[in-house]
Amino acid sequence: MESFSFIYPAGKEIKQRAHTGVVGSGDLEILLEPRTDNHAEFIVRTSSDGFKEIWKAVFERFISLNDISATFIINDFGATPGVVNLRLAQVLEIANQK
Amino acid sequence: MHTSFIELKGRERALALLDKNSFNELLGPFDRMESPHLAPQGIVPESDDGVVIARGTFSGTDAVVLSIEGAFQGGGIGEVCGTKLAASLEHILTDNKNGKKVIPIIIFDTGGVRLQEANYGLLLISEIQSAIVALRDYVPVIGLIPGNVGSFGGMSITAALCSNLIMTDVARFGLNGPEVIEQEAGIKEFNSRDRRLIWDTIGGTARYETGLVDQLVSDDISAFKNAVQFAIDSERPVPRTHQVEKYLSAVNQLDPNVKASREDIVRFMNNPSKEVPEIEDAKTPSRGRTWFAALTDSSASLSDFPGVLVADKEFNGQATRFIAVVPNAKNRYRRAVNGEVGLQEGWVLAKYIQQVIQEDANKEVKRNIVAVIDVPSQAYGYNEELMGIHYACAASADAYATARLRGHKVTGLIVGNAISGAFLAHGLQSSRLIALDDKDINVQAMSKQSAARITKRTIAELEEATKKVPAMAYDIHNYYSLGALDLLIKIGNADSPTVADVALVSKELAKAIKDGDFTLGQRLKTQPAITQGRVSSIKVRTKLAEQWH
Repeated sequence: MESFSFIYPAGKEIKQRAHTGVVGSGDLEILLEPRTDNHAEFIVRTSSDGFKEIWKAVFERFISLNDISATFIINDFGATPGVVNLRLAQVLEIANQK
Repeated sequence: MHTSFIELKGRERALALLDKNSFNELLGPFDRMESPHLAPQGIVPESDDGVVIARGTFSGTDAVVLSIEGAFQGGGIGEVCGTKLAASLEHILTDNKNGKKVIPIIIFDTGGVRLQEANYGLLLISEIQSAIVALRDYVPVIGLIPGNVGSFGGMSITAALCSNLIMTDVARFGLNGPEVIEQEAGIKEFNSRDRRLIWDTIGGTARYETGLVDQLVSDDISAFKNAVQFAIDSERPVPRTHQVEKYLSAVNQLDPNVKASREDIVRFMNNPSKEVPEIEDAKTPSRGRTWFAALTDSSASLSDFPGVLVADKEFNGQATRFIAVVPNAKNRYRRAVNGEVGLQEGWVLAKYIQQVIQEDANKEVKRNIVAVIDVPSQAYGYNEELMGIHYACAASADAYATARLRGHKVTGLIVGNAISGAFLAHGLQSSRLIALDDKDINVQAMSKQSAARITKRTIAELEEATKKVPAMAYDIHNYYSLGALDLLIKIGNADSPTVADVALVSKELAKAIKDGDFTLGQRLKTQPAITQGRVSSIKVRTKLAEQWH
């Protein structure tokens, strides 16, 4: 297991928290919590060691497209970057639901 | 429209069952009640520890869905998720006692004990079982086994206690997983790669045909909802675990030397026989036998089965029934010659505990019950699984729990090993547990070999993990640190105790009985529990109580 986090400046506020996914084989869970200090922070625990740079690339792309001020807590059980992207999009969609 | 229930995750399953907009989750992901025991072993935890507690209504009736997430660590029960289940069931019990009808619906998708938190799993499962037995007096406890993982291990013993069990034909429901049986008993006993064999033995259709589940449904949300509704509406039957005579008759009719078929089981069930096969008693020495004799002044056993010793004796001025499971080299069931709790042991235990309950039903003073514990494991075998050994273990656990509910003080004395399903059946329903302080005693959920195989680790890696997580360890001192024991008794020689040793243990046992209550609550109140062993359990319980009210 490996733990790391990344933080980026971010502009847009988001109203509500959201949760998606499970810590199951090839999957991950994401907890999104709004924050008001104009930063996006990704706190990751992953079962697959050695992919920190790939996570970084995924987050940087996500934040360049979605300028969200929030904390993303990620518990990963070997999800591929494609699945990570999908779950990030999902959690954002849930957070934006009325 | 046909919509799969199995494909849904644990939370979605709860959502699918409860009425629209009634879903209210307690201790959800944002409460961050995750297991503190996984990360130290390099395993990523989940924010809800793999159990969803959802309060709401089912067709307008108050209900709580307790949904185990099979995708997370195989739905294994650890300290946090186990406490979520046990404490929720206790709250539901209180609500029902106070006149508020609340229906518990448990979704089983679980391999049983989470091996990375082994001894916590066993403790919590016994607490869950205790709550279910108490709840059944008020409402039907409904169990669903949809499939993916299915239901195994201690949680199958738990499922066996439900009032109404609903299953699909793709789910599996047994005590020991196929890999574990193969590991423990050899490939001739059970080939874990033979999928046909697996489903013919423990699959939904087999379980339904042999009468071990109540409803077989297709994988469809509305089919599950109809089945739950049916379970709520139907009259509560006598639990299978109380039908001791019927099951014991089937166990007696089965020829353990031949692999039985489903049709055999159905025939045995439909043709009850009073005949009890002659079983030779090899009187195989064991600690359990030694201590049973020592504590009962070598009373003759009143049991008609040599593998379970039973004696009534005046102990410290009170009528007391002592019970021990002992090895018998001549046992009929070859998978249970070393003192394992097998089919016959489980049902015979139930018989002699239920007997005490019935005989004392109208008495003011109830007999105390003392379980002398020295059980190396449950029995691993094909016939055992086919016949439903989890029901045999459940019958015994049910009887001990019912005895407590009816006012008997139940005390466990660990003199030898206390392992897995056998410990759940014989010992873990005691309101007080005490143990000899002895280095040869093992308390665990699975043998090291099997645990290593199932968690995909080497034995060396497993032993490394036990250093970081006391619940993973096998020795009695680490077990004591979890808070489950009231006392460790230091004596000279546990195998051949002196008169002084027996006097000391008797004195401490008398004290434990005197202090006994009728719940399992003491385990959360001992000094080791408060300071170390059950810190997370207590935290979960406190937070859940806040959210419940």
